[in-house]
Formats: sequence, structure tokens, C-alpha cells
Amino acid sequence: MKFLKVLGNYLGGIEFSAGYRWQHWIRAISIFALVATGFYIANPYITFGTPSATPTRFLQANIREWHIIFGFAMIGAVLYKTIYFFFFPEAKYERKSILDAFNIKVALQQIGYYLLVSKHPHTKGVYNPLQFWAYTMLYVFFYGIIITGLALYAEVYHQGLGGALYPFAKWVESICGGLAYVRLWHHIFMWLIIIVVFIHIYMAVYNAVFGKNGGMDAIFSGMKWEKEGEEH
Amino acid sequence: MLDVQKVKQRIAELRKLPGIASKPLSEILEENGFTRRDFLKWSGTMAVALGLPASFAPVVAEAAEVSDRLPVIWLHLAECTGCSESLLRTDAPTIDNLIFNYINLEYHDTIMAAAGWQAEQNFEEAVKKFKGRYILCVEGGVPTKDNGDFLTIGPEAETGLEKVRRTAKDAKAIISVGTCSSFGGIQAAYPNPTGAVGVHKVVNKQVINVPGCPPSDRNIVGTIMYVILFGQLPAVDNFNRPKFAYGLRIHDLCERRGHFDAGEFVEEFGSQEAMNGFCLYKVGCKGPYTFNNCSRERFNQHTSWPVQAGHGCIGCSEPDFWDSMAPYEEPLANHKFESVSADATADKVGITILTIAGVAIAAHAAISAIKNPKE
Repeated sequence: MKFLKVLGNYLGGIEFSAGYRWQHWIRAISIFALVATGFYIANPYITFGTPSATPTRFLQANIREWHIIFGFAMIGAVLYKTIYFFFFPEAKYERKSILDAFNIKVALQQIGYYLLVSKHPHTKGVYNPLQFWAYTMLYVFFYGIIITGLALYAEVYHQGLGGALYPFAKWVESICGGLAYVRLWHHIFMWLIIIVVFIHIYMAVYNAVFGKNGGMDAIFSGMKWEKEGEEH
Repeated sequence: MLDVQKVKQRIAELRKLPGIASKPLSEILEENGFTRRDFLKWSGTMAVALGLPASFAPVVAEAAEVSDRLPVIWLHLAECTGCSESLLRTDAPTIDNLIFNYINLEYHDTIMAAAGWQAEQNFEEAVKKFKGRYILCVEGGVPTKDNGDFLTIGPEAETGLEKVRRTAKDAKAIISVGTCSSFGGIQAAYPNPTGAVGVHKVVNKQVINVPGCPPSDRNIVGTIMYVILFGQLPAVDNFNRPKFAYGLRIHDLCERRGHFDAGEFVEEFGSQEAMNGFCLYKVGCKGPYTFNNCSRERFNQHTSWPVQAGHGCIGCSEPDFWDSMAPYEEPLANHKFESVSADATADKVGITILTIAGVAIAAHAAISAIKNPKE
């Protein structure tokens, strides 16, 4: 194609493994599905005016079912990512980010970059300090929503997994001060996740626009590209 | 497993104790126009309410006959007497009402004949005479702020706090009747000016909570009957509520549950949907968060209950329900936080933060587009 020409040397490599990319997108789709179905469960925005002639209309039950299906999909993805972070060999670059996490100088430089006054700092791992703490908080919110979600689940489904989780559900209920508060925390954690996701999408787009190294593509193809001598 | 032999043994033990009624229960019932058949019918209902097999009906009958051996002392603290109303004020002198009058109810402010100093004396004597044997039922929360001075009872101006502690010390079993004595109730609602708490917070003994505003007479009588029947406290859940009554949510056994699963909801009171008997979730029913057996036992001799009458459950048997379940006629998604500066729902706070973030992002993106970040 005519607009293509040699633009210097790029280093390339797999940044995100297939498993990593799958868990990211399963998590992403689940979050959107869970927010939509969750708002319905909180306040059913689709209702019928007339009773069903035959008792085979299960709108709430169906939406709740999808909420549970996506909920367990998200739990799986979150658990996979947690184990990945702590134990997978290829996650060593993620783990190295901890070295920068407490470095105030790097953090201030990162803020400076976003305020357009300083250059992007060189980081030891894949996450800069702001990113690292944002993701750490995201996982606090994830586990918060999972724990409260499983407690709510066990109160509706008393057999099988729900039955096994029942003592755990009662424990969560005692801590929160009743099932109403469990639901409230579930709802608050949802909002916190929405806010993190919103900013995350902006940051990803921002880096794609100004990074000019196909950064956004990495979460689809797994490939990361960086110009020689410009590694962050 | 439930052991009929064990229960029979327990009743035999109780039979040996002196009763206070002048004549056996069977005679009293007959004099009041109740046949033996009525009595056994009640016993069967009670056995089922307690989650016992029908074979226990005769045993329940026996337990009721010896129940005058177990004295009950009923304290009124910060409360409205609604729980006593639930227990006593029914449209006809029901058989359970009658039996409750004839169990050894040693002290009960509102329904005892004695008054003034005489009532005080009855109380002191009962506590002394039945030391270690009486069942203590408490109605009402315990104000604890300023040493409990917000509630004083009787001519000596004894605080409720002192009275409940003193009486609980020698009680065989303590039953908190109603949400106030279980969890503090309305006076413990935000901002709780009197520092009201449930009984279990001020005594260091196990307390059985029978919450509800009011709890149904079945749950009160059932719990007392359980203690008499088994000589021990019933199995309880995480908030010390008897499992036989509070094991399932209102929602689990609700007669409108089909409409909930079908997505058929009442949008406003008095609408066509309401007439169709749709689910009351969107007009504030808190059944999904509330553990109680109202949907099975109902109130006033199984006549009706709020959801049947067309208003959602307000969650009155849950701790802290005045705060945690509000607003009562809207779903919990519209719950308001109590805060110093403002009341706002989670959704409003979330949308506000999201809007601020959105504006900030737009500004940041615009500035970045003009003045690119440093490479």
C-alpha cells in the first residue's frame, strides 16, 4: 500500500498470552452483561401489563439466569487472572510492577505525563504506579462483588453449590448486617467497577491515539510493538 | 433427629413440678367451651408450625397441659406493646390466647390484673420464687445512653437497662419478642438518640430473637412451646432467630412469587397490575431480603398478611430494618444513604462521579489533542 514505508526498527513480542486475552474479554463482556441484567434485577425496567395466559412466562427468571451465567463466567476470569498474576511465569513483568508501585518519583512523573508536562517514565514492569493501584483496587471491587454475589446466590438457590456456600452466605450476611446490606454493597461495588472500567477504556484509547505503537491491538493479537530505544 | 422419648421424659419431669393453675388445663378448656377435639387440632397446628412431624401433636398437647409449671416473666422496655397485641388481641378468644393466659404468666405489665405497688411486688416475688426456672420474654429495646436514663420503669425509677440485666441473670431462657428487643427497633433507627440496642447486647447470656414488627403470635408461642417441649433453646440462624420460623425468606414461600419470576410487577398502587395480583417488588416489597414465615403462617389466625393485602413486606424482622429497608414503597435500588451533608442514592452518586469523570476525560482528551503529550 502506498502510504506504507519503513519507519525505523520495532521490537515485537507476545505481551498477552491467549489465556490472558480470553479472560480479559470474557471479563469485559460479563461486566457489560452483568450491569444490564443487574439493573433489571434491582429495578425491573421491563414489565408486563397483563398476566400470562399460561404460566410459562419467566422474564425475571431468565434475566436472573443470565446474570448468574455471566456472574460465574466473570468469577472464572477473575480467578484465572489472580492465579496468573501470582504464579504464571509469563506474569513476571506484571509482578515487576510492584517495584515501581511504591516509587513516588515515578508516580509523580506519570501524573506529569497525563498533565502533558513531563515525559512518560521508564517503568520496570508493565504497569505504571497509577495503573498498578487502579488495577489493585479493581480487584478489591471484584472480590467484593463476588463475595456479596455468591451470598445472594446461596440465598436463592439452596441446593448444590448454593447449599455448599450457605454457611459462607450466612457469614457474609452477619458481617454486612443483613441481606439488604449485602445487596447494597453488591450494588456499590458495581458502581465502583463501572467507574474503573469507564476510565480504563479512556486510558486505553488515549494510549492507542498518542502511543502510536498499536498498543490497543495487544489485547486482540497479543503482540506488543515498541520502537527501538523508546521502551517504556 | 427428634426424639419423642426425650420430649416425653421432659414432660414427665415437668409434671412433677408444682403448677400454679387451680385446676388442670383440660377442665379450664371445657369450662370455656373448647372441646378436647379443638385442643388437639391446635396442638397439631402448633407441631407443624414448629416443624415437627404430625406424630408430635399429642406430645404438644401434653406440653401445653404442663406448661403452667414453667413461669414466664414478660418485661416491657422501650416499645409500643404491638407484640403483646399480636399475641393477645385476636378477634375471638382463640385457644392459643387462652392457653397463654393459663401458662404461668407471672408478670406482664399490660395484661396482669395487679397494678402499682402490687405489680412491683408480683415481679420481685416471681423473680425470687422461680429463680433459675422462669422464661424471660422481653418486649422493647434497651436505651443505653446516659446509663439508660432514657427509660425508667416503676416507682423506684429503675432503668430498663438495670431491670433487664437483673431479671436476665436468673432466667432459664431469654426470648426477645419483637424487633425492638431483638435488634433495637425504631428507637435504634438513625440517629438513635437514646443509644437503644437489642437485649443480647446488654446481657451475656444466649438470647433467642423472635423479631418482627410485630412477630406473629405463632412465632412467639412457638418459641416458648419449644423451650417447654425440649427444655432447651431452638436451633437458631446467624441472628439468633429460631430456624423453624426464620429459616427461609418471605420471598421463598410468597404467593406472588410466580409473578416475580414471570416479570409481572405492580408499577403503582391501585393500578390494573395491582388488581391482577402481580408481584409487589417494584412498589417496595423487601421479601427477598427478609427471613420470616409470614408467607406461610400469616397473621390473625392465618387470615391474611401484608403481601396478601396488597402492600409489600417492609422487612421488619431484619436487623436495622428502619434504616436498611427504607424507602418502604420503592425498591431497595432507591435506598438513601444517611450522611451528614446529603442524602443520595448509590445510583445518583455513581452517575455524578461518572459524569465528572466523563467531563474530565473530554477536557483532557481535547487538551491532549491540541498539546500532545511528551514522547
